[in-house]
Amino acid sequence: MAPELSLDTGRLEAALTHWLSHETQRGVFVTDPQFRLVVWNQWMEIHSGRLSSDVIGRSLFELYPEAATRGIREYYEGALDGAVTVLSHAFHRFLIALPPTNGELGAAEMPQSAHIGPLSHESVIVGTVTIIDDVSDRLATEHALRKQIEAQRRARATAEQALHAKDEFLSTLSHEMRTPLNAVLGWARILLDRQTLDHALVQRALQVIERNASAQAKMIDDMLDMARIVSGKLRLEMKTLDFVSVVLSAVDVIMPSADARKIAVRTRVDPTSPLIVGDPDRLQQVVVNLLSNAVKFTDVGGAIEVHLDMSHTEACLTVKDTGRGIEAAFLPHVFERFRQGDASSTRRHGGLGLGLALVRDLVELHGGAVSAQSDGEGKGATFTVRLPTMAVTSVSADGGRATGPGPRALMGIRVLLIEDEPDSRDLSRAALTRFGAQVSAVSSSAEAVQVVLSASAATLPNVVVSDIGMPVEDGYVFIQQLRSLSPERGGRIPAVTLTGYSTPADVARALAAGYQLHLSKPVDPVALIEAVAKLSREAI
Amino acid sequence: MDLSALQQDAMIELINIGFGRAGAALSKLTGHRVQLEVPEIQMCPIDEMADRLRLLLDNEVATVHQIFSGPVDGDALLVLDRNSAAILKELLTSEPPLPLEIDRSAREVLTEIGNILLNACLGTFGNILKVKVSFSVPHLTLDTLESVVGSITVDRTGLRYALIVHSHFRLRESSLTGYLVIVLGVGSIEMLIRALERWDGDR
Repeated sequence: MAPELSLDTGRLEAALTHWLSHETQRGVFVTDPQFRLVVWNQWMEIHSGRLSSDVIGRSLFELYPEAATRGIREYYEGALDGAVTVLSHAFHRFLIALPPTNGELGAAEMPQSAHIGPLSHESVIVGTVTIIDDVSDRLATEHALRKQIEAQRRARATAEQALHAKDEFLSTLSHEMRTPLNAVLGWARILLDRQTLDHALVQRALQVIERNASAQAKMIDDMLDMARIVSGKLRLEMKTLDFVSVVLSAVDVIMPSADARKIAVRTRVDPTSPLIVGDPDRLQQVVVNLLSNAVKFTDVGGAIEVHLDMSHTEACLTVKDTGRGIEAAFLPHVFERFRQGDASSTRRHGGLGLGLALVRDLVELHGGAVSAQSDGEGKGATFTVRLPTMAVTSVSADGGRATGPGPRALMGIRVLLIEDEPDSRDLSRAALTRFGAQVSAVSSSAEAVQVVLSASAATLPNVVVSDIGMPVEDGYVFIQQLRSLSPERGGRIPAVTLTGYSTPADVARALAAGYQLHLSKPVDPVALIEAVAKLSREAI
Repeated sequence: MDLSALQQDAMIELINIGFGRAGAALSKLTGHRVQLEVPEIQMCPIDEMADRLRLLLDNEVATVHQIFSGPVDGDALLVLDRNSAAILKELLTSEPPLPLEIDRSAREVLTEIGNILLNACLGTFGNILKVKVSFSVPHLTLDTLESVVGSITVDRTGLRYALIVHSHFRLRESSLTGYLVIVLGVGSIEMLIRALERWDGDR
């Protein structure tokens, strides 16, 4: 038997009615068996915009005829038969069209879930009750969760792919590292096992060991470079440079191995090629890799052609070989990391498959592009590198912005260049010559004075370019001697100094000593050309 | 109490009528053709129910539970393997999947599916018994089979029977099986069987 209730049920019922009407955060409404509204709570008032006093007594389906057309009425009829109906948001979207509470969900109606049930009194069904929930927040949460899970799934797939590529690379790597190691170990053991060693054998063994150790060192360098590029840690030391000399020195690097295979390397460069901005070591690596690749895949007795052409906007280097060519199917993958045309274990050509990938990455880091072309197997291949040239804007010697010098900027100008350090001298001479200057280059102040004194009026230099720090007599001594000459003998030739001393005091001292311009080392070739061109137009 | 072969056939036919209606309702809701079939029913005393269900279901289940009351009263449940529940929800909605535990929308969908089935099945019983039964609001739980069985066997007196209805869903070239469990007191069962015989005789 139930315990005696001492509660004031009347007050509790009133409180419950109040709570349902005013406080619950759900829509609640009640109808009689003819579906006329009897209760319409505050939530319904707020979200429908219809006051309880306006809807009580009216039929639900007269107020919301659209609900009847969606088949909602049969759920209410079921309720009069005692059935409870759950309306999920996924299947119904909403029970009664109400304005949305969260515009971001993009629905024209507030998303709802609802249930409709009978209201009974003493076992007789006297009406229906409907409860509506706004599921906007729930949908937003689930949407966010789905996105999160999808992002995690994608991240996992990427990681797995990377892991797979890494596994493949590790197996190639161990194979490739082992190959030269086998040769080194094999020959070392031969030498150890021999009782007597003849000179020829030792020579041969050492050559093999040296060659294989070098090959392995090259592989390790390539790997480290690739690792730096992949991790974004490769820093380019960008400077204005002469791409012609980069190409020529790369050809020098590759010549011994080309010679060894009797491969002819024919080089044709455009001497007026403009300057480009780049990292000279990395660009040389690009050209060396392309050339090594050509040597590697060209049979004994073949030929490689290296062309460097210039246009106003780009330097275009082509390396063409008569080698085994590239299959059309492999052509799109030729610059991908760890890819080689022949991936079989019996392939003839070793290597990590990093050389061309490095070429592409380095060229792209320079703002250029690389492409490969081949008419198919056995038909040779052509690789083309395009790099932007210095026709782009650069900073001129006087600090203002100007376009780079034209290829004839120094045409007909005689320059006396004084520099004791041979590499710097060659670099400056190359830059000046490229722009049409006639250069007399000397390594000391005394020689320079000789050149001036022995010159006639027609051969007197137009501009002097001089280093400051030199043994015996420095640049200050030289300019004093020059300025002590009469104007006709060359005393008024404009002069620019190239020096590592570049504090304001140094600059002031150089100008006071008789130089017209001061350029700091390392010298930007463009600044040098512009300085010489400027001085050649000025009398002092 | 066992059902004779004839009673069993009549019962299957009766439930199939309800399932036909439920299938039509689900097809209309989802836009996919949904067919529901009853290949088999079993009736057993409630203490054997746990053993029978264990043979049919995994331990992790999704259950929609409704209590009904009136001249006949008892419990009605739709029990699905957790996997089948997730698949069923996938097949019926186009939302990408989330684990059921955190997907309230999916649980709501399953609740509605269970509600439609239970209403249809008990509605046909009500019709032939010519009585009105009232239902509680359906409730979905993700739990173990043990605790589902525990929740309906505990704390009730009197001999009760469980009707286990194998329910085949066919949709979008897939099919999966759920189990409708209706637990009735012995009095309600006897009423139902007598009504069934009358209904069968009337046809």
